[in-house]
Amino acid sequence: MNFFAFFILLPSPFCLKLERTWIIMSATIMTITSGKGGVGKTTATANLSAALAAKGYKVVAIDADIGLRNLDVVMGLENRVVYDLVDVVDGVCRIKQAMIRDKRIEGLYLIPAAQTRDKNAVSPEDMIALCDQLRDDFDFVLIDSPAGIEQGFKNAVAPADKVIIITTPEVAAVRDADRIIGLIEAEEQGPGELIINRLRPDMIKRGDMIGIEDVLDILAIDLLGVVPDDESIITSTNRGVPATMENHSVASQAFKNVATRITGETVPFLDLETQETFLQKLSKFFSSL
Amino acid sequence: MPRDRVEIRGTSKGLIVTIKSGNWQSVLEQLAQKLEQRASFFKGGRVALDVGKRLLDAEEIETVGHLLAEHQMTLWAVNGSASETQTAAKSLGLETQSRQSAPVTPPAAEALGSAAGDTLVIRRTLRSGQRVEHSGNIVVIGDVNPGAEVTAGGHVIVWGKLRGAVRVGAINPKDAFVCALQLAPMHLIIGSLISRSPADDGEEQIIPEMAFAQNGQIVAEAWK
Repeated sequence: MNFFAFFILLPSPFCLKLERTWIIMSATIMTITSGKGGVGKTTATANLSAALAAKGYKVVAIDADIGLRNLDVVMGLENRVVYDLVDVVDGVCRIKQAMIRDKRIEGLYLIPAAQTRDKNAVSPEDMIALCDQLRDDFDFVLIDSPAGIEQGFKNAVAPADKVIIITTPEVAAVRDADRIIGLIEAEEQGPGELIINRLRPDMIKRGDMIGIEDVLDILAIDLLGVVPDDESIITSTNRGVPATMENHSVASQAFKNVATRITGETVPFLDLETQETFLQKLSKFFSSL
Repeated sequence: MPRDRVEIRGTSKGLIVTIKSGNWQSVLEQLAQKLEQRASFFKGGRVALDVGKRLLDAEEIETVGHLLAEHQMTLWAVNGSASETQTAAKSLGLETQSRQSAPVTPPAAEALGSAAGDTLVIRRTLRSGQRVEHSGNIVVIGDVNPGAEVTAGGHVIVWGKLRGAVRVGAINPKDAFVCALQLAPMHLIIGSLISRSPADDGEEQIIPEMAFAQNGQIVAEAWK
């Protein structure tokens, strides 16, 4: 008797999937921003969107960097752009027409930015209205913010339920992140959560780079994840295949962990100090047997 | 569904306009819209603005005042927990009163704020790009981060790490002092004297320090 009861209680992946379709969706809108340029907003948006979609969530990534469209390139969807964000706002097309479906992962969509317009083509209210339309159909809306603190940043942050601040372990980037957190707090949109990107454990060990503690000491907000500096990220962005879609590099794993934390699960932080090689892992595995 | 950012309700003391979280521009738009809808109903009303933790400067409060005046309503009070908001409201000659809802801050801190008189108490970390200016004393319960600026006519006390720029004693430099649990300001200006923190010499023991002017120099010593 007990033996069978045990089997029935086991949740199969099939059950979970069925259950999820019953839930009425109300998307969490997250804006990824940094203040400083070149710290990895677009890369993070692409990788987190792909990782969340791979987990079975319905995700739409929005490129809010109007005039400097990048997210479509990084996601490898550039040649499929027909309509864009500004077209939706101007009423040229319906929101569904501007959404590019990523054929590689089910449930992943992109709304690209316009390349021929500028930030003033959209207002914060337009962005709020647009995101509200998406709430019922998605689990997550990720907005890739432009650098800076002007109109484009305001547009990107206005609809956010949660703001993710990304920084690198560099004094200038941390300073800008601090400014951004101050602006977000003044708008009552919470202090946000932090991703530290492009960390070089070897440089920290030598004392040539500021450490995670130093960054947290100044910014004093919750840490969502630490992503190590990784060459494979450059190759993957150039090829238009987000690292979380294919490779098993440390950076890819770090982004996947961030995605898992976003869904509310706890994942231990990667121990970047003692990165083991495959052989070391293998020998450890055998010695543990 | 757009979020509700403004709520208007009537009480025996007049109307209370509660401003919730969200982008300031959209708050203003929603307020204008709500006033428009029920203009005749609100006409001639006295309004207390409840802003919660939001920081508003004098200009922003004035904008709301003008908006209300367009509908023949008068703004008489601003309720908010941030001391900057309160100071801004006072500078416009408006009443400030503590929020009617449950106090967010512990009673001890509240007592400190009221007993200090001409002291502006800030209960949060001042981040890069944020500026606080006050003719009296300033007490910061939190850090002052690099890129933040604190300017006081009197003293500045920071219950946290002071790494931003501080300027004190414009009125009486002889008496002015700056205290912090960790004193490492980007610039420290007392009256007309300027100094910088000594270069970062690594893992030194961190002690609370007090800086003041003495014989034409800025001196820092242990804060006891």
